[in-house]
Amino acid sequence: MSNWERLVWNQRGLLWQGLAVTIEVCAIAFAMAIVGGLLLCLVRMHVRPLRPVAIALIEFFRATPIFVQLMWVNYVWPELFGWPNTFFTAGWVALGLQSSGYLAETFRAGIEAVPRGHREAGYSVGMSPFQVYRRIVLPEMLLTVAPSIVNQFTVIVKSSTLVSVITVPDLMLQAMKLVNIWYEPIEVLTATAAIYIGFVFLVSTAGKALADYQRRRFGLNAA
Amino acid sequence: MDAIPAIRVVDLRKNFGALEVLRGVSFDVHRGSVVSMIGASGSGKSTLLRCINRLETPSAGEVFIDGEPMGGPVTANGERKERPLSDINRMRRDLGMVFQQFNLWPHMTVIGNVIEAPLRVRRMKRKAAIALAEECLARVHLSEKGTEYPARLSGGQMQRVAIARALAMQPKAMLFDEPTSSLDPELTDEVLTVMRELAADGTTMIVVTHEMAFARDASDRVLFLHNGQIEEEGPPDQVFGAPKSERCRQFLSKKLQ
Repeated sequence: MSNWERLVWNQRGLLWQGLAVTIEVCAIAFAMAIVGGLLLCLVRMHVRPLRPVAIALIEFFRATPIFVQLMWVNYVWPELFGWPNTFFTAGWVALGLQSSGYLAETFRAGIEAVPRGHREAGYSVGMSPFQVYRRIVLPEMLLTVAPSIVNQFTVIVKSSTLVSVITVPDLMLQAMKLVNIWYEPIEVLTATAAIYIGFVFLVSTAGKALADYQRRRFGLNAA
Repeated sequence: MDAIPAIRVVDLRKNFGALEVLRGVSFDVHRGSVVSMIGASGSGKSTLLRCINRLETPSAGEVFIDGEPMGGPVTANGERKERPLSDINRMRRDLGMVFQQFNLWPHMTVIGNVIEAPLRVRRMKRKAAIALAEECLARVHLSEKGTEYPARLSGGQMQRVAIARALAMQPKAMLFDEPTSSLDPELTDEVLTVMRELAADGTTMIVVTHEMAFARDASDRVLFLHNGQIEEEGPPDQVFGAPKSERCRQFLSKKLQ
């Protein structure tokens, strides 16, 4: 029986479980990042009195190392706010916060990239500023930045390995468990790396395909 | 001719900081007539058009649409009561605008572009809006392109969709801001043909253009702008045949070479 079979193939159930948790954490964090990023971006651009707050948050989320943020959410928030109350929640909150900072800036770039003429065309047919924003600016921006949003998901997937440190049973944690049983890291960690590569490759290929599709169909270049 | 012109511009002025772009422009556009505006780049033609539907706010002067002042009624003591934006939006519906850069919305199909304002602004039923859009697309000879996205169209087709989009609001007048200036020469004709047909149908139009042939034989009146003022105006035969102003003569001789 080869080491690969003994250490990886026979333990595949555990690794898949870990991958499932990884995907779950990342998906929730991703959803949070999109909603949070959009909110931060809109507040920054259009709510004058709260603008400094939004800028401070965006910069804080972007400038703090993800590991520090994870520790901060996991150990400081429960003391201050009594939440999050599970490691799993702390994991996706920290990942989501950081990405929401990045996505806020991506969204802003996308909004600024909508040509002024497209808005003026809306005004010229009698649409209100709100209608122009909702029907023209936001959809066009979302299309433009969609490939960048997908790329941000790959960043989340890679950062998500850190949640194993706070004992969220993701792929990384399961892999380290296996390593610590037999102290034979070569096969297990190589296989783990391969799974991450495969996953990230799938996602970024989807992002590229999306960008190509946008260019062909809508004539939009990804921001 | 009726008493109240479709569009009346009175002493319109516009500054950008210290730069005076429009220095007192007045003219009337009667219902069903076509007015072409010609002049060198920077003479204020586009700004004038944009002031008419208030994409730019004039610094002074007034624009009347069917006798109604765009800037707001003047009260008894002579002060102007600025209109709320919702009012300006309502009045803009009556002025269709066609831009040099087409400005189609890339995330909507051709039909989507045309029905957007009838649906959202006029609050028409979807079915009625689509029927109207198909009618408008037929007028610009693009009936078969409804389901395409703008990216798949040629420049000339895009500009014709933009014309259909403006027509769909059934405006009282159409404003054209150099509609063929960003088109390849072989594509300008299809756009000019559509514009000639609109003119022949009795559409009230103001056309900012560098197409002297169009200004000459499709318009009822021609305005030559220079330095933010109307330097010469009259029927095309007069402006092109026997211009009174020296500047206008120079401009035309360069253009018609």
